[in-house]
Amino acid sequence: MRSKHLSIIAKKEFRGLMNERTILLAVLLQLFIAMFSSFLMVGLTSMYDPSSLSKYSRSRYSIGYAGNESQLLTNLQTSPDFRVYQMDLSTAVAALKERKLAAVIYVPDTRPDAPEPVKITLYSLQNDLQTAIVEVKLRDIFLKYEQDLREIRADRLKQEIVPIQVPATSGGGDFYEFVYGLLIPLLVFMPAIIASALVIDLITEEYQQETLETLISTPITFGEIVWGKVIACEVLVPIQAGLWLVLLMINGIAILNSGLILLQVTVTSLILILLGTLTALHYRERTAAQFIFSTALVVVILFALALPSNPLNLLTRLAVGTAAGEQWLVLGITVGIVIVLGYITHWYAEKIGKTHQTG
Amino acid sequence: MSTLTDIATIARWEVKKSFSMMSRDVLPISIILFVLLVLVTGFSSQTGLHLQDGMYEVGVADPQIAQLLAGDARFSVYLLDAPLLNANRNSFDLIIVQGTVYSSATEKATAAQKTLERDYSKYVNSIYNTENDLFAAYPLWIDTQSVKSELTFLATQSGQYVSAAPRRIAPVPEGEVKNVPTPSPTLAISQEELRQKLVQSNAKNSQISRYTEVLSTTDSSMGDFKTPSQLSPPLPFDSIILVFIFIFPLYFTSQFFMMSIMNERIERKGEILLSTPLRTSSIIIGKALPYFFGMVVICAGLTLYIRASPVIIFPLVPVIFFFLANALLIGMLSRSFKELSFISIFFSTVATSYLFFPSIFANVHVISLISPLTLIVLTIQGSAWTITDYLYSTSLFWLTGAVLFYIGTRNFKDERLFSEKRLVSRVREFLSEILSQKYPFISLFLLSIFSIPFIFMVQLMCLVLFFNLPMPYSLVFLLLFSALIEEVAKSVGIYTVYIRDPQFLTWKNLLLACAATAIGFLVGEKLLLFATLAQISDSVFGSILFLSLGSLWLPLLLHFGCVLIVACCLKVWGKKGFIPGIAIAMVVHCLYNLYFILGWIG
Repeated sequence: MRSKHLSIIAKKEFRGLMNERTILLAVLLQLFIAMFSSFLMVGLTSMYDPSSLSKYSRSRYSIGYAGNESQLLTNLQTSPDFRVYQMDLSTAVAALKERKLAAVIYVPDTRPDAPEPVKITLYSLQNDLQTAIVEVKLRDIFLKYEQDLREIRADRLKQEIVPIQVPATSGGGDFYEFVYGLLIPLLVFMPAIIASALVIDLITEEYQQETLETLISTPITFGEIVWGKVIACEVLVPIQAGLWLVLLMINGIAILNSGLILLQVTVTSLILILLGTLTALHYRERTAAQFIFSTALVVVILFALALPSNPLNLLTRLAVGTAAGEQWLVLGITVGIVIVLGYITHWYAEKIGKTHQTG
Repeated sequence: MSTLTDIATIARWEVKKSFSMMSRDVLPISIILFVLLVLVTGFSSQTGLHLQDGMYEVGVADPQIAQLLAGDARFSVYLLDAPLLNANRNSFDLIIVQGTVYSSATEKATAAQKTLERDYSKYVNSIYNTENDLFAAYPLWIDTQSVKSELTFLATQSGQYVSAAPRRIAPVPEGEVKNVPTPSPTLAISQEELRQKLVQSNAKNSQISRYTEVLSTTDSSMGDFKTPSQLSPPLPFDSIILVFIFIFPLYFTSQFFMMSIMNERIERKGEILLSTPLRTSSIIIGKALPYFFGMVVICAGLTLYIRASPVIIFPLVPVIFFFLANALLIGMLSRSFKELSFISIFFSTVATSYLFFPSIFANVHVISLISPLTLIVLTIQGSAWTITDYLYSTSLFWLTGAVLFYIGTRNFKDERLFSEKRLVSRVREFLSEILSQKYPFISLFLLSIFSIPFIFMVQLMCLVLFFNLPMPYSLVFLLLFSALIEEVAKSVGIYTVYIRDPQFLTWKNLLLACAATAIGFLVGEKLLLFATLAQISDSVFGSILFLSLGSLWLPLLLHFGCVLIVACCLKVWGKKGFIPGIAIAMVVHCLYNLYFILGWIG
């Protein structure tokens, strides 16, 4: 195996990629996924967490209150989010239908210390985005009222609870888990998946376009062709992953240990690329190879995620700076798997190469 | 009649061919992989997904609390003495001493604290659930009743608040006041039943089960009664699951179709097929048919498997149609496998997010109906939808699918299939094929009519993406991009005509071409607006996207002017002038929007 031959093949593949500008599409794709997933996250969190939403809606919502007076009424009246009108239930619901109110609450005549629960009825508009916001804000008021009632009935509670006092947060921190625990591993690992799909295309293309014979007739051996392609795909991984890290850092997301992250991704991606290579060598036809490989990929990634301290988890821990010595153990195991896979690939490629030379 | 036999023959060939290709132990291995997949899914649902393990470091003095936290793998818990913890306070995100949490001032610590709060409330709930007197632990129950509004939802869309600004005196309804029965003060369900449901819903938050439980459609969780902490609307994980279950098999099958088309082009294998007297439309329909039925069968199987109503198939059919149409074009356009992979992955990601995103709001907002997936979510929940809903959510898929199939059919011939040109010039050639030489103006008119559904799709996608940004920016970006998309779409026809034959564009023809394009655009826009999107079109966002339905001559003038700018740039500077032309037209379009719609200038 000569390094010159390897680099010839790798360069050839790079030229092809640059020519078609497909790599541009790949980067665009990753950008799209990043934007979309953060859209989902930000959108959803603001829907479900009133504190992150409150900066958008400072207005007060009109609430109709029917039934008996209670602590809830006082809570609502003192809340800066609502303006409460005590009304007759039927009138209030009619006003709600005309959107003159945001919600209507009916409170029955149940004593706070009664044996039965207090069952209140909440009328809100169907199919409405604003209703969701109002409900989220009302939830806080209800929670407070629930706590009040619970204290009144405290002597009926028998179980002991380990007390933990959590001080009020200063806000923020909502997206931390999403950014570090999902977005970063996803983005950094995506180039590895793309590279493994790419190697299948590169290999099956030689078979299906019948350009393999020409290549083999040169002094380059079949094994060198295969490894040249593997190298071409592998080189793309740290470049793209590095680009992501830089982009994230420009956006003000501090990432620790970026060098180690790149090392982990690069080594782990080799597993996927070699798996792709083996599949492609076996099927020599794109449809079957891609189909089998993508199914296998789901199995492998799901399995890896189910293991503690898996490489993806390690990316998260490296980024937040909580990875300890076990990262080297994981890296060692990964390298071990890569060596085994690399050996199999080499053996398989040599075997195929021989049949090509004789046939 | 003979066309039908042709189609049947081609379809038979296609099936035979794909089975012979499958001979190389694809089937046994995929069965093995499938079994492995089931096993791995089972395994991971037992152990949980370990992606966020050990993100936070917490120092705890009390072993009871340490045990409580050990249940959440996100925490690395260190059990140390209180003095030692206080001394090393900064090496932990949180320390808990004597039942009080102290956090360091970082963002990470804040996130850790929020996670802790959630874990703690879950723990507290699990204790409350075992209380003998359940109504002392959960003294407050809320019965949610949804009321149908008698106004349209336009009010909320246009950025106004639901209700009028709060006033001193209670609002008085204008319409008739119907008597609302006083709700009963008691729960119609026994304490033990409630307890069971509480236990269930508390356990539900575990990582995997919340993804898998969606499939058991009997999920009526708590009836209408909720405790305050359950009040927030359920997270839309069901639509994510639906995407995985229904859309991914469709994506894979359309990949096979794409490859089958691509294979015809490799080594000019398709020449034999083209040399037969068969019509290209029969060839394409014949080739697509097995995949179409395959996809329908897969969907039907999945529907049976999750025991949902077979009505689900109806909204899926246009999606299948759309996927196949795209697969056809992608298979015809890409030059190499790499290109095929990237374009198809890109397409499927965009299409999936288009399908997925609106369905999140399935129970919240009418806009969710632009995705057929919403209809599926509704069917599974047991809510009914109407034919109008169906048309509303699927018409874009039908229309764009049909147009793409037409373009594919017209271009399914030697010189297009076996050409080795770049992607962009190939797209141009494809368009050039459907623009008739004989009736150029009518074709331009039709082209711009049929570009409308695509523009809507792309613009709706932009709406989704820019929603991300804070308010003024989202509007600015939307303004710029929608103008850009429209201008590109409008001038693409003229550009194609110009490249095909620069001589054609005399000043007179240029004016006529611009007029044809502008009128076509206007007609298409209004048609689609009336047909489907009338509901969204009157909001602030809508007015930027689609212009208002009001006066006709102003938008016509705008379309005409913008196309004219691009055409003149082309005429004067040649091919180089296209991009500057688009830029100028975009600026004009934006200014128009700002002036007339938002009224920001003047």
